[in-house]
Amino acid sequence: MRRYVLSRLGQVILTLLIYITLVYFLLQAMPGDITQMYLANPKVPQAAREELRKQLGLDQGVVMQYLTYVKNFFRGELGVSFSHYPRPVWDILMERLPRTFVLFLTAHVLSFYVGYVMGRVIAWRRGRVVDYAATVVGITFWTAFYPLLALVLIWIFAYTLRLLPLNQFIEPKLWQGAPFSANTVFGYMVYGGGAVAIGLFLIFYAFLRGLKRTRRNVALAWLSGSVLVAVALLAASRAGLLVYIWDIVNHMVLPVCTLTLISFAGTMLLMRDSMLETVQEDYVMAAHAKGLPDTIVRDRYAARTAILPTVTSLVLSLASSMSGGLVTETMFSWPGLGQVLFHSALANDYPLATGALAFTGVFLLIAHFVADILYAVLDPRIAYTGQPAAEG
Amino acid sequence: MDPLLKLDDFTMHYRTKAGWVQAVDGVTLSLARGQALGLVGESGCGKTSIAMSVMKLLPYNSKVVRGRILFEGRDIYSMTDGEVRKMRWKGVAMIFQAAMNSLNPVYRVGNQIVEAIVTHEPETSEEEAWARVRSLFELVGIPKERMYHYPHEYSGGMKQRAVIAMALACNPKMIIADEPTTALDVIVQDKILREMDQIRRKINMSMIYISHDVSVIAEVSDVVAVMYAGKLVELGQADDVFKRPRHPYTYALMRAYPSILGEKHELATIPGEPPNLLDPPSGCRFHPRCDRASAECSKADPMWREICPGHYCTCHNPVEIGGTWVGQVRSGKAADGGDQLGTSSNS
Repeated sequence: MRRYVLSRLGQVILTLLIYITLVYFLLQAMPGDITQMYLANPKVPQAAREELRKQLGLDQGVVMQYLTYVKNFFRGELGVSFSHYPRPVWDILMERLPRTFVLFLTAHVLSFYVGYVMGRVIAWRRGRVVDYAATVVGITFWTAFYPLLALVLIWIFAYTLRLLPLNQFIEPKLWQGAPFSANTVFGYMVYGGGAVAIGLFLIFYAFLRGLKRTRRNVALAWLSGSVLVAVALLAASRAGLLVYIWDIVNHMVLPVCTLTLISFAGTMLLMRDSMLETVQEDYVMAAHAKGLPDTIVRDRYAARTAILPTVTSLVLSLASSMSGGLVTETMFSWPGLGQVLFHSALANDYPLATGALAFTGVFLLIAHFVADILYAVLDPRIAYTGQPAAEG
Repeated sequence: MDPLLKLDDFTMHYRTKAGWVQAVDGVTLSLARGQALGLVGESGCGKTSIAMSVMKLLPYNSKVVRGRILFEGRDIYSMTDGEVRKMRWKGVAMIFQAAMNSLNPVYRVGNQIVEAIVTHEPETSEEEAWARVRSLFELVGIPKERMYHYPHEYSGGMKQRAVIAMALACNPKMIIADEPTTALDVIVQDKILREMDQIRRKINMSMIYISHDVSVIAEVSDVVAVMYAGKLVELGQADDVFKRPRHPYTYALMRAYPSILGEKHELATIPGEPPNLLDPPSGCRFHPRCDRASAECSKADPMWREICPGHYCTCHNPVEIGGTWVGQVRSGKAADGGDQLGTSSNS
């Protein structure tokens, strides 16, 4: 297992280098540079523009620039943004990245979970009404034109019903005179939420691992889980953060729901197909014969082995979410990485665009890496052979 | 005493696009506690369908047309789902045809056995269950540290033993072993069969062995039932059936297998093919392939009758000569031919 992880890690770093190289040269291949912005500005003469190019290092050869960039990249220095001069790229990314990351991760995990659970149910009840209904609904959303769906949802829930905010990341009026910056609150929210999630996972794992779930253990798990959440909420409200956190969460609801609606059917149908194969396996029949309850046979036998292809789809959809990310961020005016990437590319801001793309890449590679590890955890046959064993 | 398992005129059909397949037709047999029954017949004759019927694991396109299956006197087709779940594994355990694939690839083998134990015996703690797995592994001859391994780390024979250990986990009253050793080579096959037989005798458990291999059945069964095309054609004590087969099909089946220790004979194939059960032949289902068929055979379905005490057969013209003993030959008991009862000629 350790060797497997290390070899995957090596592959990740190599892929990252290749990726950065590609990204760098692709962006450099765009015509012109940042100084063109000043072409029409009479206050910036030719000589000043040349001086500016020299300062930014744009007068050097492309290869020279590339080597400097890679050297700095692996030292963790991404340079200074041209269009937000003199803000460091790292700064901008660190402000935007968590927002994008949290939004899309939430949406993907939710859509994956919904798809997995529904796929499991409709495969188990194949040919029944629930199967057809879920398939039709799922396909309808899956094929819907995404920006239109987003607009329709905004129109219904934000404009007509006024249940949710229209767009943006925060409600500016509320935050006027707030003792915290939005980033601080968001940071607390992410770290606190993450800590609570890990805590909940550990609690449920501790009480419910093993094959025997006594009613007492289930009750204890729920009880201590609720206590943890209550304590976290109390702490947040004592610190005066709760109202601001609530505002951010409110702003996340619509984009997350839209993303989930449009993508859950992929996982669901994949899960359904994959599980229709595993329900035919002998070990599922054997599990029935063992007299195990129906839901256990479904979850531990049929669904458990059918989940592998859907993990692949989760990673692939994370990969494509970055391009879809721009659309979402634009529709909901979400100030995330997608928007930064778009605007910096338009402005010939090489350091920022490269940095943003590189981070997208890092993000994806990490996702792939996590998926590989998940695979090995989910299917014990993988760590040994390096690939899924043939059926049977 | 009440038999443990009783099939009473059990008839089960499968619905297909082409029509109803008459997979099991009017099977009546019973199994006493501690008895080993061998169910033998060609592929597709309904052996596995009977096993699945007893486990109540029939696919959705099946239909019980007639008859009942009684387990400890209770009709399993009128039990609730919960009662059936309790009967499974605790009452009747099963060793599947493809034992190799009946282990979940993503869980440790020991876990899968512990799961069965704690499901059926909620009062057993997980530690106790693991301890039982350890002793089961000892019993079937797998090193006990192997219980923490995954199925893909096992060899074929070891998987087979693990599946046997799993079947024994809840001390079932009977086990159905559906082709338990077909996937193994002959030496391992023999070893496992002997071990299973020993374990069965030790804990006085009933057993149904299902096989197309007459020699396997001969080795381990007390009672033998021969099936042809969904029907039971012959039933009796193993000695009787194999020494003096009455049904021409049983006779032909035995002639088709080599006998290692018995007298040499030419291996004879059975001409023709098993009938299509969508539209089985009229009268006796074996008559198109039978060399003893008379005009009567294609018209009337032969009755199920007791040819001599405890030996049943459905045939208009039963075989009268002594058959060939396959499997083990027990000295002094070779076909003595003296007590031909001759009850058949006057039918």
